[in-house]
Formats: sequence, structure tokens, C-alpha cells
Amino acid sequence: MDLVQLQRQLVEYRTSLYHEGFLDEQYTQLQELQDENNPDFVVEVVSLFFEDSERLLNELTKALEQQSIDFKRVDAHVHQLKGSSSSIGAQRVQKVCIAFRNYCEEQNVEGCLKCLQQVRHEYSLVKTKLESMFQLEQQILSAGGSIPM
Amino acid sequence: MKLNLLIASRPVAILIFLAMLVLLPPSIVITWWYKTGRIIGENVDLNTQKLHSGCLSQVDTTAKSITPLNSSATNLAMLLSSSFNRTYEISFDDVETKVAPTLFLAFSTIPYLSQISYVGSGGLFFSYYFDGNQTVSAYANSSYSSNRKRYFWYKQPVDNHTGKFNGEAVRFRGFNATNTSWFRAALHNSRGYSSVETMWNSGDDPLFLTSVGMLGTGVISMGVPVKRLTDLFSGLDLHGGILSLITMDEKLLVDGIPNTKFISANSSIVLQLMNPNGAQNVSCTTPESYILHIGEEEYRVSCSAVEISGVPSVYALASPQKGLASLVHSKVNHSYIALIATIVFLVIVLVFFISSMGKTAQWMMCLHDKLIKQMEATQQAERKSMNKSLALVGASHDIRASLAGINGFIDLCLANAAPGSDFESYLKQMSHCAQDLLGLLNSILDTSKIEAGMMNLEEQEFNLAELVEHVVDLYHPVGMIKGVDVVLDPCDGSIVKLIQVKGDRGKLMQILSNVLSNAVKFTAEGHVCLRAWVGKPDFETEILASSRHSFHNYLSCLVKDENKARGDMNALRAVGQNHDSVEIVFEVDDTGKGIPKEKQKSVFENYVQVKETAAGQVGTGLGLGIVQSLVRLMGGEIGIADKEIGEKGTCFRFNVFLKTCEISSSGNLKGNKEAQGDAIRPPSPSLHVQTSSARLTVRTLSPKSDGSQVVLFMQNNERRRVSQKFMEGLGISVSVVDQCNYLPSALRKIQSKLNSYHHSSRRLDMSGRSDNSSSSSKEMPLSAMDGTDYKLPLNRRRDAPSFILLVIDVNAGPFSELWRIVAEFRRGLQSTCCKVVWLDKPTARMINPVRLDPGDEVLLQPFHGSRLRRVIKLLPEFGAASSQGASGNSESSKHSYSKARLRNSQHSGEIQEYVSSSDERYSKKGSSSSPTLVRTHVRVASKISPIHQHGAESSTGKPLFGKRILIAEDSQMLSFIATTTVRQLGADVKNCVNGKEAVELVCDGLKTQTNGLPYDYILMDCEMSEMDGYEATRLIRIEEEKYGVHIPIIALTAHTSGEEALEAGMDSHLVKPLKSEKLMEVIENIKRHSSG
Repeated sequence: MDLVQLQRQLVEYRTSLYHEGFLDEQYTQLQELQDENNPDFVVEVVSLFFEDSERLLNELTKALEQQSIDFKRVDAHVHQLKGSSSSIGAQRVQKVCIAFRNYCEEQNVEGCLKCLQQVRHEYSLVKTKLESMFQLEQQILSAGGSIPM
Repeated sequence: MKLNLLIASRPVAILIFLAMLVLLPPSIVITWWYKTGRIIGENVDLNTQKLHSGCLSQVDTTAKSITPLNSSATNLAMLLSSSFNRTYEISFDDVETKVAPTLFLAFSTIPYLSQISYVGSGGLFFSYYFDGNQTVSAYANSSYSSNRKRYFWYKQPVDNHTGKFNGEAVRFRGFNATNTSWFRAALHNSRGYSSVETMWNSGDDPLFLTSVGMLGTGVISMGVPVKRLTDLFSGLDLHGGILSLITMDEKLLVDGIPNTKFISANSSIVLQLMNPNGAQNVSCTTPESYILHIGEEEYRVSCSAVEISGVPSVYALASPQKGLASLVHSKVNHSYIALIATIVFLVIVLVFFISSMGKTAQWMMCLHDKLIKQMEATQQAERKSMNKSLALVGASHDIRASLAGINGFIDLCLANAAPGSDFESYLKQMSHCAQDLLGLLNSILDTSKIEAGMMNLEEQEFNLAELVEHVVDLYHPVGMIKGVDVVLDPCDGSIVKLIQVKGDRGKLMQILSNVLSNAVKFTAEGHVCLRAWVGKPDFETEILASSRHSFHNYLSCLVKDENKARGDMNALRAVGQNHDSVEIVFEVDDTGKGIPKEKQKSVFENYVQVKETAAGQVGTGLGLGIVQSLVRLMGGEIGIADKEIGEKGTCFRFNVFLKTCEISSSGNLKGNKEAQGDAIRPPSPSLHVQTSSARLTVRTLSPKSDGSQVVLFMQNNERRRVSQKFMEGLGISVSVVDQCNYLPSALRKIQSKLNSYHHSSRRLDMSGRSDNSSSSSKEMPLSAMDGTDYKLPLNRRRDAPSFILLVIDVNAGPFSELWRIVAEFRRGLQSTCCKVVWLDKPTARMINPVRLDPGDEVLLQPFHGSRLRRVIKLLPEFGAASSQGASGNSESSKHSYSKARLRNSQHSGEIQEYVSSSDERYSKKGSSSSPTLVRTHVRVASKISPIHQHGAESSTGKPLFGKRILIAEDSQMLSFIATTTVRQLGADVKNCVNGKEAVELVCDGLKTQTNGLPYDYILMDCEMSEMDGYEATRLIRIEEEKYGVHIPIIALTAHTSGEEALEAGMDSHLVKPLKSEKLMEVIENIKRHSSG
């Protein structure tokens, strides 16, 4: 594909992500932190986020499968997840986390399970979105272009 | 069907009714008419007959009025004979003495008697008669008695009254009376005999003569003239009838009827009519009437016998037939004909009328039929359309679900695909196609929703100006790739004044995005301009009538710019009048291919695309349809405004109504505006008084004594025009340069103007300064920071522009060339403050940062909205913080920050100061104000810093240069982010993953480090495994005591409140996610506390 077209596509795609609330300004900040010293900063951070989140999600799943649920632990996990998601600007995940924590405080198992589903869903959504965006960026870079801001 | 029958039966009923109506009256009228006519005819006939018989009877009576003289004559004869003997010979003497007086007596007494005479058989004669008026007696005497045969006849006049002879007796030949038939017939007839004879007198007039015998020897005769009868007849009114009279012995008495004669045959009289074509006979014995043609006329002839004075006679009366009767008959016939003709005519007319009625009814029936069919068809079509819409909604929902599945699987495949392989690129293309498909589907779904009326507006508060700018910013890069500039024209700035509005932010954004993306899509070169302003209350009608007045509107928009104050008032009034509703007008103006006039109406219809221009572009043609629906949902209207002839492109204009947020009193309004801090006040004293916007105007000393000069050098015409207009609207003196070649001359002009002003006082000002002129401008802001130099206020007292701002678009010319020109200009300036704002493209950085003057700013395009306002705020009269030493407490933080910066790097700059000012604003405004603005500021700051780092002069933009910072964070990812962030600020970073490690590191550091702190700052996550932040802090604080130091510890927490952290002994806390400007703010605070 044409380089210019790719760049345009990337800009539009990113715009749509902001539009639909997948990302917020925190992500912009991350992008700004990336420079020549640290060319893959964003990708690295995001992949760390993926690892982290997957781990947390697994632990959450396990914790909620227990007979007697340790809500403190769950809360801690959710808190972590909230922190990491807000740090990369994954707005929607963060919002669900807030609801999740509320259920935790109420010790509402059903609500927690529902929220877990939602978190999982939102996480997979933002993951695919970000991955496809990175692929697009990769394409542009491999074609010899620069990433438009 | 019932209706049909009714419709069909109606004309038929009318037909029958009309036929009855037509046929019945004529038949009645005709019969009545006929009867009446016949009665009239009969009556007339009867009357005619009556008249005729009346005439006849009249004739009869008249004839009988001539009384027969028989009795008188008989009586006279008996009287005379009594005086004589039977045998006695009557002598003349006897006659003279006895007969004559009696005769005279009778003659004078009996009426109408004109002749009386005595005739003796012997020859004696005596008579009286009228000869004219004279009574004459004629007599014959026998003077010789022997010869009896000899008589002498005399005539002698007699006195009319006495009977005496009074004249001479005249002898004459005498009458031969005794030989006449009547004498012989009467001689022995004592009953009298009547006949028509002639009179004795000379005229021989006919008269009715009655004779009676006397004693067998003589005859007495009395005569009445016929003339007397004819006189009577002529006195009769016979109604035009003609009378003929004849005696039985054929003596014609009256001859009235022409061409006729009486013929006697066998003792009967026949009236013979002598016509040219033959004779006609009428018998007079029978009282019948005949119709005869006498001459040219038609007559009715009746004959009858009558006895006149004892004389049997016959008369014929002819009365004219062509009288009243025949007239009446013929008129009656005529009237018949006229009546029938009228009726026939009426019938014809009626038939014609009915037939035309029938035709009309048929036609109407046809129409009804069609209408019913049409209605059925319409209903069916509506049903179909409805079903289709529903099916579409359902289908697109399902499709979306499937599409999401496809997308997911593509992503799964992508994860497994070998990077860089063909397979991967195909998958990516598939993914893009799926995304496009999803976009199309969404627009179709939107349309269906709107059609189904399920689209509702959600109300939320938002900042309109921010929204508009955001949308334009989104499309700016898209446009830039194509080489199209996307410009935001604030017009009169009324949008900015509006602050918060209530409405559906998402939908408004959708509208703007759609229209803008269309504009960008179809514009190959030039610009796309978004104009927005608060509509006047009466504007609605104008926009509906749009096309003709559009130019006028545009003009009025320009006029508003010039009269800013009035525009201000208008905007306020607009808000005030419709309490909570305000009209916003948007215009999206592009220089693309344009839409043909005839297609302009149809572009808003769904599924319509203008073929000529849409070639090669993807889309369903739903976009503008959705936009129109949404605009209407917001109470507005969208249309295409006419452009000037010769101008390219299309101009979409639409208006929406939004609610203003409840700002009841004007005081609140002002407060909000101040808090907002984005509104720019023009430097006009009167307005300051009104709005009292303290923060922005306090620093303006004497606004009119000095203006700032702004030089705009931009490539894009529209952007240049908009920027110039906006600045001039604020009262700033602006000169524009559009080509690289003209820049030096424009700058020189300003320079020469300045120099002439500066001539007298320059020596004094320059005395204490270094000879390097370029350093003077460099130092200027620096000294202003320190608040020690008052050179600028001195300058300000003169009337020359005290501040020159160059806004230079780097894309307009080669950077090195521009830089050279600017540097030369600067050298030429001695004392005036000059600042350069370089505009750069975000994608292609053309600025060589090494060569930039530290006082300069680098701004990324697009240069509009908040960026434009920010540049304006660099001007001293709009409250640029830089050039004034006068500052309140509120600015102390800024100053300390600036000082800190100065310590770190020899290069101070507007950028730093600028960042601080934005920080200050940010902290003041709180979270409700514009985050976008801050973000862009920060971006500028952080962008610039690394660039400077690579330059020869190293660490500009690294406020934490040389600092050592410990970061304790257990999440690898967060740690990574925090590290990078802090590193970018210039600090050295040490990482650890939990509290325990942190405490150990600090302890080690304290042991080994003899002078100063082991770490300048510690960033501590609160919740960590092993040992959390609070515990670690407590341990560190205990450890510190031994050495008598205090390391600032900043907590990182996801909680909003940091009370726990402060209790644990931390100096400050930061809410995750970590932000560099927040971090700087906190560090500044800590510094201030420790120093002060």
C-alpha cells in the first residue's frame, strides 16, 4: 500500500480509538515519552501491560472461583489492574475496574463475576486495537516512513 | 365496492329523475293546451254563428217593421162604403166632398204614408201624394156626364196641413190606373192586396202599395216608399255583411252582393253567383247557409224568405268568413307548433346536458378508481418500506455481530502469522476491509435508527470552543497529508465567550466530523475552513432562506468582527433573550470541486452521491443524510450556501440550538469567564471596566500608548487571513507577508520606523549594556524574569511598538533562509523586544533547533483556536507574564520555578516560562477547565526538550538534570513508564521492586554517600508486595534520623486522597498515572517548602 495512505490510515485509526474511548490522553503522554533513546517505548510499555493484565486476570479468575472469596485480594488485584490500565490510558478498562472495586466493597459475587467478564472483554478489545495499531505503525516504519503524530 | 356502486347509481338516478321531469310537464301542458285551444275554437265558432243569426234576425225584424197597411186600408174602404149605397153611382162631387177629406185625413195621420188614392172603376180618380216636400193631389173628374168615357186629369198642390187646394189646377195626361194588374186584383178583394208599384210622382219611386176594393166599384190604395225600407237596412250593423233583397215577383229592392243575380224558377228564387270560373247557385227557399267565394273574399251566405208590408220577398245575407274565427284557429295552430318546438328544443338540451353529466360521472368514477388504487399502492409501499427498514435494522445488527467475529478471528490469525509474511499482510488487509465494512454498517444503522425515530439526544455539558477545536485538530493531520490546510475561523470569537453549553456532544462531533471529513475528502488543494459563531436570534429565518442572503450574512459576520464590542453585546443579548437556548451557526468552506447547483438539493438525501466528484471515493452516500437528520434533531437546518462566482468549492452551513448552562447572574458569568481564562480581552479601557477581567488585564499598563506589532508570515492564504482578522479584531497591529521574498523588506520597514523613534533616547538605554546587540534581546526576558531590569517600562513610554512578534510558518520557505532573515532583523533592533514563534508541521520537522534563539517558540500546526489565543497572550497588552516585573503572590510559584530552571541551564526561555504559566493556569482552573490546552502545552515543552538535548548546548528542557531519583514500584510496566518519564526530565533513575529493597537502597546510599543525599527524590508506590510504601517510608525516615537528612518521598497512588501517605511521613503524593508536569509541580512545592 501507498505510504501516505498508510499514514493517513494510522491517523484515522488512532483518532477513532480516541473517539470510541479506548484510549485517553495518557496514551498521548506515553507517545510523547518515546524518543530516539527509547524508540520502542510505547510498544514495550503496552506489552508489559498485556503481560501484567493477563496475569492479574488469571489471578482474579482463580480468586473468584474459590469457595470463600478473599475480597481483599481481589480488590488488590483490581486496584493494580486499574493502576496499570490508567497508566497506558486504557480508559474503558479503567472504568470497569472502578465498578469492579465497588462490587468488591459490597462483596457482591455476582457483580464481581460480571465485572470480570466485562474487564476481560474490554481488555481483549483494547488489546486487539492496540496490536493492530502497532502493526500499522510497523508497516509504516518498514516502508521507510515516519509515524505521524 | 359499496362506494363504487353508490357512485355508479347516482348518475342513473339523476337521469331517470330528469327524464321524468322533462316528459311529464310537456305532456300535461300539451293536452291542456290542446283542450283550451279547442274550446276557444268552438266558442269562437259559436259566437260567429250567433253573430250571423243575429244579423239574420235583425234583417227580419227590420223587414217586419214596415207594417202592412192592410187593416188601415180595409177600415178606410169600409168607412167610405158605408157612406155610399151599393148601387149608387158615385159622382165626382161625392168623391170631392166625401172621399177626399177622408183620404187626406188618412194621408196625414198614417205614418210613412206617401201616397193615398181612390180609383173608381168608372174612371174617377183622386189621390194625394208627396212630390218632394209638397203634397200634391191628382184627380180625374168627368165634367161631361154623358160621355162617361171621357175624363180630365188635373194636378193641384194642396196645403200640407189643411188639405185645401191652394194652387192652380194643372191638367195632365193622367194615370192609367184602372188597367193595372193591382187594380183588377184589388177591385173585388175587400181584404186588401199588396204589391210593389211605382209612385205617381215624377220620380217613379217604387213603393209598397196596398189596395182594397170598395163596393166593387172602386179601390182605395195606400203606399209606403221602398226607400224607407232601404234606409232602415242601411242603418243596421251587419258586421261587414252584405244584404240583397228581392220580392217574389222579381222586383229587386236591395242589391248588395256583387256579381250575383236572382233567378226565379218554379215559384222559387235562386241566387246565382257569377264567378269567373262558373256560376254557383244558392237556393233561397231553405234557410241554409253556404260558404261562397265572392271576389277574393270568402263569405258565408244565408237566404231566407220574408214578408215585407205584405209583399212576400227573399233576401240573402253574405257575412265575411275571414274574421275572428279563422284568425283564432290559425293562431291556435301556430301556438301548437311553437309549443312543440320549444319542448323539442328543451328535450334536446336536456339530452345533451344529461349526456355530458354522464360523461363527467364516468370520468369521476375513473378518478375515484385510480385514487383508490393509488392509495392502496401507497399503503403497500409504506408497509414495504417499513418492513425493509425493520429488516435492515435486524440484519445490520446481525451483520455487525458476525463482523465482530470475523474481526476477532482475523486478529487471532494475525497473532499467529509470521511477521512480515505475505499471509500477515493479507490478513491486515482483511482487517482493514472489515473495519471499513463496520464503518459503513454503523452509518446504515444510524440511518435506520433515525428513520425509526429512535435517535435521541443525550444532554451533557461541554465546552463548545474546545470541541470545535478538537474536531479541527483531528482533521488537520488528515488534511495535511493531502496538502490541504484545515483552518478554524473563530469569526467574532462568540463561541469562545459561550464557555459551557449543554447538548449532545457526541452527535455534534459526529456532525462536524462528517462534514469536515467530506470537505477534506473532496478537496485536493487549498484549504478547508470551519467557521463558527453564535447566531443572532433572528438568524434562523435567514438561514432557511439561505442562498440569496448568504453573502449578506457573510458580510454581517465581517462587520461584527470590526465592531467587536457590539458583537460582544449581541452575543450576550442572544444568550439573554432565549434564556437557556442559544443558536450556533457553523460553516464549512472548502476549495474542492464543489457540488453542481442542480445536485445541491439531493446530496442530503440518503444513498445519493454526486457521481462526478465521488469517483474513486468510497462511501454509501449516507453521511450527509445522517448529518441532516442530526442537525434537524438539534432544531437546526443544514444547507449549501452560495459562494461567490469564481470561488471554488462548497460551503455547507448549518445551525444547531444548544442550551447554555445555568448562569443566572452576570456576576457568576464573569467569574466563570475569569476562571476559564481563555477569553481574550481587547485592550480597550471601556471594556475592561465592563468585564473587569482582572487576570488578563491587570498587567496592561497604558494600552494605547504602545501597541505590539505582529508580523504574520504564512503560506496558506486562508489561515493568514483568519489569523490577521482575528488579531486585528482585537486591536493588534498586524502586517502580513505571504512570500519569502517580501519578508526582509517588511521587516526593514518596521525596523526603520522603530529606529526613528528610538533615535533620541537610545544612548541612555544602551549605556550599561554589552556591545553584542544580539545578546540584548536574548537577555531581555531573562532580566525580566529576575525582576531587576526596568528597561522595558522605560521603552514603553514611547509611542513606538514596543513588542514585535514574528509568526513564521517554516513551510513557507527554506528554514535556513528564514532564520537568516530573522537574525538580521534582530541585529537591527536595539532595544525593542522581539519574539519569534515558529510554526512547524508535526510530521515533517523542518526546524533546526540548534539555531533557534532561546526566546523563540516552536508551535506545531494547526495555528488556530487555543494556540492562536496563546500566541496573542504573549503580547504584553494581553498579559504576557514575561515582560512585566509587576507580579502578585499568585505568580510566585512561576518565578521560583523559572529560577530553578535558570539554575539548571544557562538558557532560559519563553518556553519554560510558558510552561510554567500554563501550569499555573492549570492548577488554578482545576479539572473542569480545558485539558486539551494543557496537553498541547506540555507536548510542546516535552517535544522541545529532547531536541535541545541533542544540540551542542546540551541539557535545555531538563529540569531534573543531574538529580538522582529512586523509584520503587512493583508493577514492571508502571515502573517502566515512571522511569522513562523521569529520565526524560533529565534525572538519573534507580529502580527497585518493593519497599524492602527501597529501604535497603536508601540505607546503603546513606552509608556510602558522605555529602548530600543519596537520592534527591524517591517515588514510592504505596501498595507493593513484601513491603508496602507506607512501611518503607517509615523505615527510611527512622534511618534518616541518624544522619540528620530528609529525602523527599513522593507517593504514587491510585487513590485520589493522599492523607495516608502524608501520615506515613511522605512529603507529597501523586495520583497515578504519573504525569511529568504534575511531578514537576510537586517537586517545585517540596523545594519551596525546604528552602522557604
